[in-house]
Amino acid sequence: MSQESFYKEISEAIVSLDREKAISFAKKAIEENMNLLDVVEKGFGAGIRRIGELWEEGEFFLPELMLGGNIVQESMEILLPFLKANKEDIMSGKVVIATIEGDIHSIGKTIVATMLSANGFEVYDLGADVSAEKIINTALEKNANIIGVSALLTTTMIGQKKLIEILQDKGIRDKFKVILGGAPVTQNWVNECQADGYADNAIEAVKLIKKLMD
Amino acid sequence: MFKEWLKDDSKIILFDGGMGTEIFKRGIKPGKLPDILNMEQSEIVTEIHKAYYEAGSDMCQTNTFGSSYMNLQKYKLEDRIKEINEKAIENLKKVCPPNHLIVGDIGPSGEYKPPIGKATYEQWYSSYLKQIKYLEPGIDLWHIETISDIEEMVAAIQAVKEVSKKPIISSMTYKKTKRGFFTIMGNSLKDCIEKVENENVEIIGGNCTLGSKEMIELIKEMKNITNKPISIKPNAGKPRLTQGGITHYDQSEQDFAKDILQIVKLGAKIVGGCCGTSPKTIKEIKKGLDALV
Repeated sequence: MSQESFYKEISEAIVSLDREKAISFAKKAIEENMNLLDVVEKGFGAGIRRIGELWEEGEFFLPELMLGGNIVQESMEILLPFLKANKEDIMSGKVVIATIEGDIHSIGKTIVATMLSANGFEVYDLGADVSAEKIINTALEKNANIIGVSALLTTTMIGQKKLIEILQDKGIRDKFKVILGGAPVTQNWVNECQADGYADNAIEAVKLIKKLMD
Repeated sequence: MFKEWLKDDSKIILFDGGMGTEIFKRGIKPGKLPDILNMEQSEIVTEIHKAYYEAGSDMCQTNTFGSSYMNLQKYKLEDRIKEINEKAIENLKKVCPPNHLIVGDIGPSGEYKPPIGKATYEQWYSSYLKQIKYLEPGIDLWHIETISDIEEMVAAIQAVKEVSKKPIISSMTYKKTKRGFFTIMGNSLKDCIEKVENENVEIIGGNCTLGSKEMIELIKEMKNITNKPISIKPNAGKPRLTQGGITHYDQSEQDFAKDILQIVKLGAKIVGGCCGTSPKTIKEIKKGLDALV
């Protein structure tokens, strides 16, 4: 089998949400001493990007996003120890993500975290109902590039603004790109908070972060 | 009375508008479950119900959207399930005028089945059953709403039917995709309608997520699939926070009401509003409905 058709098979296994096949391909790539960077990018990466497209086309929904994301994450965990390059060089960037204090809605945030992770980001998901201070401290500690803050309620959205104000007060606003998420978030709100962007869904969030990292 | 309304072709039933967004307007503390106000600030809840009836609502729903057992667990309030639900009825009864109805509101559990979450049919069923038995004695009909997984909807319907013979409005929340209307879990409109028809619900509905313009498209498709009466409660666009931290929805009441009248003309039997709508919205719809007759 040519390498190109092997990559295609990996991608197809991801799109058909076949966990066993995907994992066996990851193991095979290691055993056969393949160029794992290419395997990750042209096989697994291509698969997860196709899942994103299918979601945009209305073919795939949350269960497929989540399942596809989980399969790629699991495969990556197998591949990562064998990648010869530094982890830092392979990963697209570090993201600290959380739902803001007072808000227990975590589904959207979790899906964004899964999709980011499947797209090669190192993701620190702090869960829901997390204080702005804790998010900032983790971002500093992990030397993150991006902070993602989610809020489903208009009453908790104000916490997104507070987080950015704390960064400004501490003089560390420029250290991170801050992106917002959650049903009530709009571009106007992003402008008012002086955030770096927002995304309506997990696929958009991946695109946004890739753009911000460029 | 509800069954007579259903039989009367000339009767359009006016439901209420948003409760959560009305409560938030009055400055509830972030992170608090709006349903807890049933006990802690019942005068606010009662005032909102009263405003809806005065604006023209034929029926209003209990402030129990988040009062299923599973959702209360997230707020560590599950031990108060009886009190929260019973108090909700009491608050609504105080202001329900004669010849108007009380609707028992059942919202989503907030828990999803795998691969997203860990919920099972049995958990949903038992969670709803625990809530429903406290609402049953005080309500006239049910509104199971804003559900995005048809399996969860079926669990809720079956739990209602276990203890109640009262009519059910089964209202899913849909998003519009390039391929038509689906729930975020991937259930198609057709699949949802067929499944709830199999459960013998009296009314089929759509609420939340979609605004009034998209709901016009939704009802057109619903009418092609079902002959059951239809209930529609759209959102009033997207919220924004004003400088003072007040939540504001940009769609005007007049614009919303105009779309609702279109929805009525397309065959809706029950209309009202979801997030961002207020007694003002209902008043505007009422004006329009009165002019139709």
